[in-house]
Amino acid sequence: MELLELRGISKEYRSGRGTVKALSDINLSVKRGEFVSIMGPSGSGKSTLLNVIGCLDRPSTGEYFLDGMKVDRVSDDKLSEIRNRYIGFVFQNFHLLQGLDALGNVELPLIYRGIGSAERKRRAKEALEAVGLSDRIHHRPSELSGGEQQRVAIARALVQEPLLVLADEPTGSLDSRTGRAIMELFQKLNTERGITVVMVTHDRDMARYGRRIVRLLDGRIKEEEFIG
Amino acid sequence: MRFFFAAQMAWQGVVINPLRSGLTVLGVAIGVASVVSLMGIGEGARLAVVRQFESLGSNVIVIKAHDAKAEFMPEEAEELLERVSGLKYASPVVRTNAVMRWRRARGQVEIIGVSSDFPELRDHRLVSGRFFTKWHVEQRSPVAVLGYNIGAGLLGGRSPVGQTLTLNGQTYRIVGVLEKKGPGQAESIDDKVVIPYTTALKIAGKKTVDELWVKAESAKAADLAIAHLGRIYRRKLGFDVTAPKPGGGEQQQMPGKEGAEKPVETLPAPQPEDHRKEEKPALELGKDIITITNLNTLVEEADKANRVMTLLLGGIAAVSLLVGGLGIMNIMLVAVTERTGEIGVRRALGAKRFDLLLQFLMEAFYLSGMGAATGTALGIWGVNLFNRYGFNAVISAEAVRVAVFVALGCGLLFGVYPAWTAASVPPVEALRR
Ligand SMILES: Nc1ncnc2c1ncn2[C@@H]1O[C@H](COP(=O)(O)OP(=O)(O)O)[C@@H](O)[C@H]1O
Ligand SMILES: [Mg+2]
Repeated sequence: MELLELRGISKEYRSGRGTVKALSDINLSVKRGEFVSIMGPSGSGKSTLLNVIGCLDRPSTGEYFLDGMKVDRVSDDKLSEIRNRYIGFVFQNFHLLQGLDALGNVELPLIYRGIGSAERKRRAKEALEAVGLSDRIHHRPSELSGGEQQRVAIARALVQEPLLVLADEPTGSLDSRTGRAIMELFQKLNTERGITVVMVTHDRDMARYGRRIVRLLDGRIKEEEFIG
Repeated sequence: MRFFFAAQMAWQGVVINPLRSGLTVLGVAIGVASVVSLMGIGEGARLAVVRQFESLGSNVIVIKAHDAKAEFMPEEAEELLERVSGLKYASPVVRTNAVMRWRRARGQVEIIGVSSDFPELRDHRLVSGRFFTKWHVEQRSPVAVLGYNIGAGLLGGRSPVGQTLTLNGQTYRIVGVLEKKGPGQAESIDDKVVIPYTTALKIAGKKTVDELWVKAESAKAADLAIAHLGRIYRRKLGFDVTAPKPGGGEQQQMPGKEGAEKPVETLPAPQPEDHRKEEKPALELGKDIITITNLNTLVEEADKANRVMTLLLGGIAAVSLLVGGLGIMNIMLVAVTERTGEIGVRRALGAKRFDLLLQFLMEAFYLSGMGAATGTALGIWGVNLFNRYGFNAVISAEAVRVAVFVALGCGLLFGVYPAWTAASVPPVEALRR
């Protein structure tokens, strides 16, 4: 069962000096429960690909099916709903809201799903527990270490009970030991909860936590490698 | 549900940067406060003037001769009551001075000689005794009604009714004391002595009076009476009353000699109804022999002038309110730029454009709402402060309503653009920052 299916996806950016082709003719399928790493040099289109997969951006051409739905041409509001229901995001620089404590940050996706306060808090606490932060619930991002902040971000993705977690260089701002701990967490989510993970990284060691490595170059898929 | 969350998140946006929110709120508050207090001053001034004019009595028409040759016989007042319909009370008026003696004290006082209609005519009441009667007037009786200050001064607060005093050496019996009108009110009647006009003419050594007062039954009757009186005195001065002239104008002037040579030209041509009110009282023309003035009109004009002044003050203050509103817009635009990352995160997590629009709009609304509330409090405090320094400012509910409404309106109006900007940032763009 394919969770993601990209057919002939390309993405162009128009700027003053002309058009930049960030992605060209991408064909990619990801099955439910897979853990895929995307690698490639800087500017090769990794983030652009992840944004298209995450319904944050629309492809210029091509078709994109997410869990059987054709989502490359749906409305803005519908995309918001899809992100909220299906997709959890983890970013390199965490992207937590500074004004909210850990619990508040983890609650956010559920707010936009319209879930009541008590239920939200219960689920947010559960998610924080799952990433080992039960004792940091009321800390603000500025009071947490980088690793802890990334765990909060992962809890925020978890709380959505997503089909898919997308991570753009999740260990890029962390030292290698903390990075490995985060990767183990991803692996655990993948194996224990069956959550599909698509992760961008340019660190070979981190990429090897995945079962498949997709290499990009100049907006094209150069090669795919399966890890046994 | 959605609104509730947006409201909650908007509140977080306000409290996360207390200094900046505080300054924005202050900007709006200053605007609201200046509208409330400046309009308060204007409104207070208007009410003071209106009160002063109202103390002159309602529906009173003053007929004044500005030339000795045009002066009136005192009996004319009574005659006018019969000739002009709608008039209820009339009195000739004699103004003079006399040396008053009370026991061992003596001093100059202003005397006003009137008929027994005086209390009804100028809306006066008595605190003690009663007013002199028609009979007193006919008999030229030496009776006096004292203004409140004079009456209260004589026996240290006890009623002097029944006592006597002398005016220019002649003994007068005090029959009454008028109610207090207040400083400067009702031509400062509190400091005057009122006696029958017949007696006053004797003191002044005159036979004619230069002023007549009549009172009409109603404001409408006063308007009609003015027109009628105009015709009467025009004819008396020898003008052709059939010549076109500004009909029931509020005030009519009879031109003197110079004007009399070409009477029709000096009288303004007939004008449409609404233009008539624009006529300036021609007292300053100097040529006028007789002026007929409806005091109601003076009240209206003073009221109008003061209303304009209130609006002007309000307008000036509104500018600062506008500046406060722009402050909100400014701060919200900064917030949108600064919080693009936040916008991106929220969008990534499933916020729709409408959610962000709502959140930022509510944030602007909070700022303007708090500004309006503090501003109103500040304005009320300001009005009290002004009053401590001798202003007669009032807290006008209308000013508060307008200011609060405008502040909230500004908040929403100036919040819409930044909110819309926030909602329109594409999620990818927003996340890149
Ligand atoms: N919004 C944009 N406007 C113009 N060019 C862009 C934009 N986003 C990305 N690009 C370009 O697309 C290419 C791929 O970018 P990106 O996907 O961010 O690469 P990576 O994440 O692999 O470093 C780059 O050449 C980049 O300059
Ligand atoms: Mg990138």
